Amino acid sequence: MSDLLQYFILIPLIGFLFLVFPSNKQEKFIFWTTIVTVSAHLLGTIAFILVWGNNGFPVLFGKGPILYAAETSEFSIDFYFDKVSAVYLLVSGILTFLVSIFSRYYMHREKGFKRFFNNLLFFFAGINVIVVSGNFETLFIGWEIIGITSFFLIAFYRDRYLPVKNALKVVSLYRLADIFLLLGIWLCHHVFEKSITFFDLYELQAHHIDIIQQRSFQLVIPGVFLVVALIKSAQFPFSSWLPRAMEGPTTSSAIFYGSLSVHMGAFLLLRTYPFWDHNLIFKIVVIAFGLTTSLVATSISMVQSSVKTQIAYSSIAQIGIIFIEIALGFEYLALIHFTCNAFLRTYQLLVSPSVLNYLIHDQFFNFIPPQHTENNSFWGKLKVSLYILSIKEWNLDTLMYKLLWQPIKKVGNWFSFISMRSIVFAFGPIYLLGLFFVYNKALVPTSIILYLPGLFAGLGLVMALRAFIERKDAMIGWLLIIMNQLFTSLSVAFNEQFDFEQIHIYLSGTVVAGLVGYLCLQRLKGEQESISLDRFHGHSYERPRLTLLFMIASMGLSGFPISPTFIGEDLILGHIHHNQYLLTGLTALSLILDGLATFRIYARVFLGPNTKGYHEVAYRSS
Amino acid sequence: MANQTHAVKDRHNTSFDVHEVLHDLKHYLPSQTPLKDFIHHNSLHAFQELDFYSAIFKSSKIFGHQATFNIGEYRNLYRTGRIRIEILDQVIQDRKGIAGLAVWKDRVLKQQYNSSFTPRIGQLRRFWKEAYHIDLDNLVQPLLFRILCSYLDQGIAIEHFPFENEGLLTAIRKLETNSFSSFFKTKRAKTLLFDPTCTIESLLKMVVGDTSYYTQYIFDQQFTHRGWSGMVSAIEHNPHSILYPKKISLQELLHFELLLELDNLDDQLGTNWTPLSTKVNIAPMDLFADVANTELEEVLKIWQDAFEWSYYDEVLAGVRYLSENPTTTPAQLPKSFQAIFCIDERECSLRRHVESSDTTSETYGCPGFFGVEFFFQPEHGKFYEKLCPAPVTPQFLIKEYGVTAKHKHDLLYTKKTHTFLQGFLLSLSMGVWAVLRLFSNIFKPKMSPAISDAFSHMNMYGQLQVENKNPNDIENGLQLGFTVDQMVVRVEGLLRGIGLVKDFAPLVYVIAHGSSSANNPHHGAHDCGACSGRPGATNARVFAFMANHPKVRAILSEKGLYIPDETQFIGAMHDTASDDIGYYDEDLLTVTNTLAHQQHKATFENALDLNAKERSRRFASIDTMKDIRKIRTAIRQRSVSMFEPRPELGHGTNALCFVGNRSLTKGLFLDRRAFMNSYDYRTDPDGKLLLNVMKPLPPVCGGINLEYYFSRIDNQKLGAGTKLPHNVMGLIGVSNSSDGDLRPGLPLQMIEVHDPVRLLILVEHYPEVVLNTIKVSPELYEWFANEWVHLLAIHPETNQFYFFKNGAFQVYNPLKKQVNVANDLQKLIESANEMKTNHILDATKENLSIHVIQNTTEQR
Repeated sequence: MSDLLQYFILIPLIGFLFLVFPSNKQEKFIFWTTIVTVSAHLLGTIAFILVWGNNGFPVLFGKGPILYAAETSEFSIDFYFDKVSAVYLLVSGILTFLVSIFSRYYMHREKGFKRFFNNLLFFFAGINVIVVSGNFETLFIGWEIIGITSFFLIAFYRDRYLPVKNALKVVSLYRLADIFLLLGIWLCHHVFEKSITFFDLYELQAHHIDIIQQRSFQLVIPGVFLVVALIKSAQFPFSSWLPRAMEGPTTSSAIFYGSLSVHMGAFLLLRTYPFWDHNLIFKIVVIAFGLTTSLVATSISMVQSSVKTQIAYSSIAQIGIIFIEIALGFEYLALIHFTCNAFLRTYQLLVSPSVLNYLIHDQFFNFIPPQHTENNSFWGKLKVSLYILSIKEWNLDTLMYKLLWQPIKKVGNWFSFISMRSIVFAFGPIYLLGLFFVYNKALVPTSIILYLPGLFAGLGLVMALRAFIERKDAMIGWLLIIMNQLFTSLSVAFNEQFDFEQIHIYLSGTVVAGLVGYLCLQRLKGEQESISLDRFHGHSYERPRLTLLFMIASMGLSGFPISPTFIGEDLILGHIHHNQYLLTGLTALSLILDGLATFRIYARVFLGPNTKGYHEVAYRSS
Repeated sequence: MANQTHAVKDRHNTSFDVHEVLHDLKHYLPSQTPLKDFIHHNSLHAFQELDFYSAIFKSSKIFGHQATFNIGEYRNLYRTGRIRIEILDQVIQDRKGIAGLAVWKDRVLKQQYNSSFTPRIGQLRRFWKEAYHIDLDNLVQPLLFRILCSYLDQGIAIEHFPFENEGLLTAIRKLETNSFSSFFKTKRAKTLLFDPTCTIESLLKMVVGDTSYYTQYIFDQQFTHRGWSGMVSAIEHNPHSILYPKKISLQELLHFELLLELDNLDDQLGTNWTPLSTKVNIAPMDLFADVANTELEEVLKIWQDAFEWSYYDEVLAGVRYLSENPTTTPAQLPKSFQAIFCIDERECSLRRHVESSDTTSETYGCPGFFGVEFFFQPEHGKFYEKLCPAPVTPQFLIKEYGVTAKHKHDLLYTKKTHTFLQGFLLSLSMGVWAVLRLFSNIFKPKMSPAISDAFSHMNMYGQLQVENKNPNDIENGLQLGFTVDQMVVRVEGLLRGIGLVKDFAPLVYVIAHGSSSANNPHHGAHDCGACSGRPGATNARVFAFMANHPKVRAILSEKGLYIPDETQFIGAMHDTASDDIGYYDEDLLTVTNTLAHQQHKATFENALDLNAKERSRRFASIDTMKDIRKIRTAIRQRSVSMFEPRPELGHGTNALCFVGNRSLTKGLFLDRRAFMNSYDYRTDPDGKLLLNVMKPLPPVCGGINLEYYFSRIDNQKLGAGTKLPHNVMGLIGVSNSSDGDLRPGLPLQMIEVHDPVRLLILVEHYPEVVLNTIKVSPELYEWFANEWVHLLAIHPETNQFYFFKNGAFQVYNPLKKQVNVANDLQKLIESANEMKTNHILDATKENLSIHVIQNTTEQR
């Protein structure tokens, strides 16, 4: 039966492939392909669950294709199915089915009709990858798919300023979550000394109870996954991205941010529960986050005067409670709560435009002017303070900026002296020199070799930081990102026995994607178009195809699971020993930053308002 | 209006007066009121004292929106034949003379022009970014919008804005004093909030510096969020446009926004900054100074004229054909019934189908409030609703009574799901219910309390208190009902205006209209414009009551307007989205009339089926070839479908307005593009009634037409953009993002079928009478003289066309000599194209050309 699990992923992927071909005008074809895919999937799910239930709800595990194998590490696609998978599979199937039908006429004649259904199916595939994944590597693939489709659907109206700005904001946090997930994988790898599967996870208590309860790991391992879950489920203090993600068509906001995407954090928590099953301290930590989230989010939700933001925060509040339920061990309650909350918020979002009519009508017949009393007491003041704080969303939005991105910007600015010139004349030669010594390690004294990985990782990070703050030329930014990856691979090469194959896997993606992106930018430059990074250019308006090409290159360069770079990322981290915290930190930060810089270049050059005077462009604030 | 603009012009470079600037600002901001009512108006009303083209190009230079299609689009329209070659030649000759034809034709067709330009607005404030590298708008706007929206909120938030009854600034001051937290990040701005000597001028001194930049700065700043500023200005102007009125003014907004700017500047730059004017290297600009006329604009004028005349010419050719080939009218049979509809262009097709379903019936058109202006209070309602054109302020109140049914609730809309404990319990208990409801919404849409239902506006079986027997019956300054004399004036006015003064049928239907739609914040825009954007059922019923009143009849017959005793008026309403008609007070009909009414109802049903079919050709969800009953059901379902952003297409494609006898257009297929006002020049040879007939047409029909024009031409800047991402803000407007500005104007889904041509009003009367009539009223005259609306007189005897231009009527002869003839209207509709995309090149192909209908009887 576990052999069937792969079809949950394959069906939406096949549907997605079919959707690559039609033009935007072929609405019927696009819709029917989607609906046939989703219906087949839903029916399959129901049938599968019935049979599976009849067999007594066994936990299923299946080995999939091995993408890469070496002595020490292995990257394989594994499958896993239990009650949690069943519930998530069913709920996402039902909601995707309903939202697809809802969208047929809703999206009619929209410029991005095809883009919408493409993303919907790809997203659905991503959800399925996560839900039936049997190990963290597989789950990570799904995670990335959800992230990228989120970016595209938030920036669905790519000709306007705010959607693109907010898409970047959200994807920055997602990238942070992704890298934390990679760190989690790295940790598990080193702690348990093999690629662990979810099937193993439940046996951890039997075999590795010593490790799990070891002081240094009992908070760190589940903690890393908790950060990922907190970000993905918009929990405190990461909550403010969720209302800002509601930039796309209402239907996509409903399914992504009202229900499925935002509940994936809870899924991860359920999956990693064996790590902290007996860990009281950690349970208290989770409960504290859940409780804080639901209190803060409720207070914000209660003062919201815009419908979608209100629903977003009440959904967050409920997910906070779901976190508590999971921590308390009420798995079934959490699953029921997830199901109901996802259904309810999807519905509320889908019908949110009708709130205007409903509430005005209600006001017309039932309005009682509120009584105003001034209360100068301490409690009165506290209430007013809470109101102000909630209106400001507890400063969470600015907090994210101040805590995460501003310091990086500050550090990045130290390196603003690095110019195109210095890349060519200083860092290029350094790299070549490094490359020479990789092949001729004998020439380098051992005492120096020890420091080289750190040095090159540091240089790589400098490149990434510089790319992150680049404000002028997209081309410099792009080259810096490539340089970052070259240096990173160099650092790994010095770290241990040089393995051509692994480095080549990593670099093959970088080189191809880097070159394609470079050519795209070169082409724009050649046509006298500006590619400066100080504002949005919206070249997608005139060059949709070039945009698509550059987007694929960007995805390749940032290690999205379409390019070998993706496996490379995992391998690279795999090569860092578990006591090399500095190296891990440097590399992880590099990965985060080059992802952000890549997305930023894509967004600034190709998205946003195109300001040529001959067509309609929205005002910036709209 | 004229005085005001002189003030605007004479002011520049003199000293700064904040009240003057605020006054000008209000003039230029969008004037759309909160969305619960939707009153169409000219989006560029501020420029209306200029002629149309000068106005749109000037406004475009200032605010950066599109004024016409771009030149490439016009050239493509020409290539596809939508713009006709002979019309283009004629337009060029009209504008440039025969001598200029060759040169200008070459320019029009081939010359390359640079169309990029930098609008004047925003040039000053961009220096914040250039000189200080900060994005002030991003820092200020999210919080500012949130505070404004929370303050004005009508019922979305659970917690009210504290002290919201005290005016925006007072409320904020009290909030700050009564709280441990603050909206401000720095001390200086917070201290200034409480400083009584702090004024807008003193804040501008700190933020901007040099006085000569103040005006430009304020315009720059307020137009970065024209949606919110416009809304504040509209609510300040008319506090009762929201049911829970709030004290707010543009002045307060400006004051508060300057404080927030100061706060963020201090926060970001510390003491390390000087006012903006110290960093600016451009001279202060008068935003509204005259703009230079360019050759490109001349070319665009020619193209737009040619685009319009390619259509008008075809219409006129059709009208001429009808007058030259009058259909042989059967011997004067007695009329089976008469029906008075709204002039609304959506009734154009229904009238045609009614007449063809029963050839002895007769239809009329007049503004849909039927000449009775009043406030209406439904039973249990806490407020009054105005039911007449927006500029009119009624003195009367009509109350509903005898209603037992209560307003229904929908539990899934409860706000309690957003609270803590109840939220937990409700999300657990309602989730499955919600998904089941979603299933039924998708597969079996039906009416629910959350759907805007045109028929719920007034209870079908309630009673109305129409007659006033004691003039002292006054409530809140309004007289309860109308006295007999007041009724007489109104009934006589309407009937004489539309020329229905003799040959009354036993039944006269007075058919208002409204529109039902689901999940649609813009539902008001589909209701009756003559009833302030509301369903007009009450007006129809009130008018029928008046016209049936024996005392009214008696006085009318003394005045020579004799209505036979057996004639009864009956009020009804047509739901333009679901294509249903509901009839009121049927129980008052006599036995004979009841029987006749049953027959006529069948006629109306037949007509509604045909109407539904005609409309369905533009709807992707319905196959026009399907069985007509199925189409009707599908049309009905659309109006209650949550997933349908186009329950109907509103006024899309409107282009014409006929004022005259039905014979002018009967037998012409106008594709639902014509407003039709009945008027009989024979009963009004000197044009005494004509002024009152024509007066509302430019503001109502022209307002609709221009709002569609501008929302179509620049849907992003002058329209509301696509509906799909809209987020309802405070129950007063929509925005795209949680941090975005309000979006006034019409959404994409309403305007995509619209061909942006100006309204052509065609009046059947002697040109000199029409000219004298419009000259009586300067406001009326301005609309035509400045070409915001076109006017054409049809000579009743010679059937010559006279087009109004440069203050005089000139003969116009259609260039098109042949007309399309349709033998079978159904076939024509079935064969029509559906647009492939909503780009104008595709969209315009969906409109059918003018056809003369040969076979005028229609059966399903």
